[in-house]
Amino acid sequence: MMQEIVRSVGIDIGTSTTQLVFSRLVVENLAGNYAVPRISIVEKEVIYRSKIYFTPLRSPTEIDTEKVKEIVRGEYAAAGIRPEDLQTGAVIITGDTARKQNANQVLEALSDMAGDFVVATAGPDLESVLSARGAGADVISEEHRTTVANIDIGGGTSNIALYEKGTLRGVSCLDIGGRLIKVEQGRISWIFPKIHALAQKHGIALEVGDPAKEQTLYELCTIMAGHLAQALGLLPKDGDHVGLYTNDGSPIPTEPAVRGVTFSGGVADCVYDPEPGDVFRYGDIGVLLGRAIRNHAAFQTVELFRAAETIRATVVGAGTHTTEVSGSTITYEKDRLPIKNIPILRVSEDDEAHLDTLSASIRTQMAMYRPEGVTEQVAIALSGAGRTSFQAVQQLADAILDGGREVVDSSHPLIVVVENDIGKVLGNAMKVKLEHKKDVICIDGIRTRSGDYIDIGAPIAGGHVVPVVIKTLIFNS
Amino acid sequence: MDQKDLKAIIEQVLSEMHITGDTAKAATAAVQEACTSGTCSQIEEGCIPDVTEVDIRTQYLVKNPEHGEEYAELKAHAPCRLGIGKAGARYKTTPQLQFRAAHSAAQDAVFNDVDHDFVEKEMGLFIVQTQCDSKDVYLTRPDLGRKLSPEAVQTLKERCKKSPTVQIYVADGLSSAAVAANIPDLLPALLQGLQSYKIDVGTPFFVKYGRVGVMDEISELLDAEVTCTLIGERPGLITAESMSAYIAYRATVGMPEARRTVLSNIHRNGTIPSEAGAHIAEIIKIMLEKKASGTDLKL
Amino acid sequence: MILKTKLFGHTYEFKSLREVMAKANEEKSGDKLAGIAAEDAQERVAAKVVLSQISLNDIRNTPAVPYEEDEVTRIIQDGVNETIFSEFKNMTVAEFREWLLDENTTGTMIRRASRGITSEIVAAVCKLMSNLDLIYAAKKMRVSAHCNTTIGLPGTFSSRLQPNHTTDDPKGIMASVMEGLSLGCGDAVIGLNPVDDSVESVARILKSFDEFKNKWEVPTQICVLAHVTTQTEAADKFNAPIDLMFQSIAGSQKGNEAFGLNGKMLEEGRDMMLRKGTSTGPNVMYFETGQGSELSSEAHNGWDQVTMEARCYGFAKKFQPFLVNTVVGFIGPEYLYDSKQVIRAGLEDHFMGKLTGVPMGCDACYTNHMKADQNDIENLATLLVAAGCNYIMGVPEGDDCMLMYQCTGFHEAAALREVFGLRPIKEFDMWLEKMGFSENGKLTPKAGDASVFMTK
Repeated sequence: MMQEIVRSVGIDIGTSTTQLVFSRLVVENLAGNYAVPRISIVEKEVIYRSKIYFTPLRSPTEIDTEKVKEIVRGEYAAAGIRPEDLQTGAVIITGDTARKQNANQVLEALSDMAGDFVVATAGPDLESVLSARGAGADVISEEHRTTVANIDIGGGTSNIALYEKGTLRGVSCLDIGGRLIKVEQGRISWIFPKIHALAQKHGIALEVGDPAKEQTLYELCTIMAGHLAQALGLLPKDGDHVGLYTNDGSPIPTEPAVRGVTFSGGVADCVYDPEPGDVFRYGDIGVLLGRAIRNHAAFQTVELFRAAETIRATVVGAGTHTTEVSGSTITYEKDRLPIKNIPILRVSEDDEAHLDTLSASIRTQMAMYRPEGVTEQVAIALSGAGRTSFQAVQQLADAILDGGREVVDSSHPLIVVVENDIGKVLGNAMKVKLEHKKDVICIDGIRTRSGDYIDIGAPIAGGHVVPVVIKTLIFNS
Repeated sequence: MDQKDLKAIIEQVLSEMHITGDTAKAATAAVQEACTSGTCSQIEEGCIPDVTEVDIRTQYLVKNPEHGEEYAELKAHAPCRLGIGKAGARYKTTPQLQFRAAHSAAQDAVFNDVDHDFVEKEMGLFIVQTQCDSKDVYLTRPDLGRKLSPEAVQTLKERCKKSPTVQIYVADGLSSAAVAANIPDLLPALLQGLQSYKIDVGTPFFVKYGRVGVMDEISELLDAEVTCTLIGERPGLITAESMSAYIAYRATVGMPEARRTVLSNIHRNGTIPSEAGAHIAEIIKIMLEKKASGTDLKL
Repeated sequence: MILKTKLFGHTYEFKSLREVMAKANEEKSGDKLAGIAAEDAQERVAAKVVLSQISLNDIRNTPAVPYEEDEVTRIIQDGVNETIFSEFKNMTVAEFREWLLDENTTGTMIRRASRGITSEIVAAVCKLMSNLDLIYAAKKMRVSAHCNTTIGLPGTFSSRLQPNHTTDDPKGIMASVMEGLSLGCGDAVIGLNPVDDSVESVARILKSFDEFKNKWEVPTQICVLAHVTTQTEAADKFNAPIDLMFQSIAGSQKGNEAFGLNGKMLEEGRDMMLRKGTSTGPNVMYFETGQGSELSSEAHNGWDQVTMEARCYGFAKKFQPFLVNTVVGFIGPEYLYDSKQVIRAGLEDHFMGKLTGVPMGCDACYTNHMKADQNDIENLATLLVAAGCNYIMGVPEGDDCMLMYQCTGFHEAAALREVFGLRPIKEFDMWLEKMGFSENGKLTPKAGDASVFMTK
């Protein structure tokens, strides 16, 4: 069937490194000639990997936007790709870099220069998912019919995502990383406060300026490795453990039990392929942490799978796994696309059960999107479950128009995102009911949650579908 | 009801009939004996579950499978009758009955006529007929199913708007069940879709014993720019309710089949009828823009 | 050639051999639709009487479509061994029938005769055979062929595993492949009718079959039933592994044109297979036919559907196929009205294919607008095994959810093997035993447990 190539970029600005990949996504209509199109992404392939740069900082709390732009510009040139060649992509700020004060500006600046539909995204949950998918933990868990946790160990954090037979079961993030202690010229030059406290608790004396002793630091790394094992439920959680979650986050669920692990992030290679030589050659404890994990008894109890990507897992995830395609029968106004960073107004399943609560839910939630008395653009999202008959769709359209009158009266197009395959008939119903006086975008096949943001790209595959990125924009605050 | 109750009732009935003494005793004894020897079956309350409600994707009947969970997950990707086990080298009883039930629905969909009241009163469509005068002729003479009867020609001339941009009609085809199941959602969604594109539509109607090809005569007769028939598909065992849309730009008698654009598999578990209606409206819109259909039209 | 006879004193006179051939057929709705069937039962018998007295020479000289106009006719006529033909040409159809049935006529003798007759002769004698005649004569003939394994050897009975899926979902297809194999299906071929017959899709499915076949060391052949040109492109462009090349064929040049086909394309396809195909060979082709397809494409030239079907086999023979099967009840009630007609057609086609000298299987099937049910198709399958048919189809419980028709299920081949004391192809039989699915030709309790393939 008809195939179309969509090019995508992934840019990851992490605590220690900044990277970029270009991917090609093959979009294909999998339905036969006589059926409604069913367009899916059938193949994903990374076609270009950038060099790995240290993330440029102006100060410990500020990213150097100009230098980052320079890196990106240089890599586009090296790959011979122009921003207009790209149909989709994502810029992601990860690890504790996301906590830097100008992270948001950096994202915006980059997503504007990187291509028309390259979107900004952030958040530790997303990072866990993207790195795990880049590492292939989802696919491994499915192929081996087991549960696999990926631990993406970067400079400052370890992002965990647990997959059971291909389905995501939980995410988590700990303040454990390879650069939480830095070593310069044989001496400790910096210690992350939480790690400092952890060392003290275990009676390991460690101060900035001390000579970096391999044995002492290995001992500390073993304790850190132990906490990763605790996070996976391979060891019982001790009293210190709860304090190690990033932003007081929570652990992954205890069920299903973890049976296999993959590692990604900068430290992963030190887990899989420890190499001899100076353990402080990267100016941090990454090599020791990798070795400590590899040797830790708790990790011998689960199967170690090789990750598809290690240090590049997150950027590959951002470049190849953020974009999805909508259902193939939808309603849109071409001139209104692409649109980016639209907050999702989600009607809960309980509220969806009745038309009056559905309307009311939209109406009350609209108040949150009126920051200075002016109505913001929102996307009204619901499942649409069970409302498939023509009559039910008409009623649903009425209820949405009733609850969303504020949007109808505003200058924004009316955007509706449903899960169930009714995007086109619902869109038509709303258009007719609005007497063609309003632009309506109604897409289906997309799952959303409250608090998400949506980006909708220009139509692809003969106009049957639109590329969509569902994301979170919540930084670690 | 147990035996004691039964015995009590019989005794009561007998006494009401004034049968007493030895005759009555003999009668109750006979009942008692029959019941204890197991030849008296009692009709119980209750209802045996509907075998057609079982989702065959999730049904798994293999005994002691080696990796049952994994296979059950895999087979859920197929709408086929898998994981059904065996009795010797034959089928187990449940899947055999499920199969027969599905086939009975398919046969009834083919051999039963569409309910005229439903078509006329509920759908508001008037009925015309092809040159077939029975189901049997319809099934064995496809040529006659492609031609309107003289009365039908007359009726269409009288009742239909001439030279519409789009002429839509419904035909029974090979499944009356498909008409009943889909038209209430499919037809209004299609009409609304065309309305949303501001496209003019002719007078819809219903053709009894209609084959796809009759659309060519209808197109010529009414001088429609685009003709669209919603027609019952030959039923399978997964569903007897599947419907297709055949759409052609300026259809003419004797034109190649390749000039028809086809959309099949419209039913509640395939492309849902209301969404399909909206999609067909868009196909028609593109067809009018490009002035082509079938293989000449790239969608 | 006399075209006149009397029955109960009433005279029947036919205008042409074509008319005799059509009217001598057992009743078929397709011949009625074509307007060439006998008016009534007596005229049918009169036509049979006339036909019985016509010589094979006269029949050879009256091909259904003239030699000059039709490639299929040329292939059939040019393929005749004139020495053998001269031995038979003076026989009447009645004599030829009796020769076939004669206790002294062996299968080998019939194989030799096959090389000296045309498809019209094959069709003619078929029209004089009762159902049991068709079984009795066909039983003598074995036509075997070799691709990766050998089909059609005495004592064997095979099946095609047909794992069709409504959306070609790779997981759904494999689930079906696994269950079929676990019930002993698939020694003839694992062959899918794709929904999406694009080159990419065909290549993708072939690769997944090949991977599975190699991983589990299944001794069989694989195939995806797309057009020859699509399969060739899949092999050329995507290196798709093909054991058997499929094509639907018809009994006239015009009929083949309706399939977008001609003899040259088949020749090229076969050449490609011999050069690039993954199988051992020499038989690398798989053809499907079915009574009525020529009429439906108006390519029958006024001839009856039995004769046109016989010509499919004559055409097929040139390309030395591994499998030929008649999809006997797929076309619908306007060609084969009910179970009686389907059963007759299945037995006719099987007999005619074998008499032509091609390795025959049968897709014993029916659609839901036909007056037939699963019992009828089980009857036909049983009669076909009695007649020594090479193989039948196997789909999950006989329900093909993609082609929306019913045929024989995975369980049928196994049951029929047990009933008739037959075995699958030897290597496959041994593989089934190795896997624990069968023992001494009987399914084990483990059979039907497809989950054994779910290991890593």
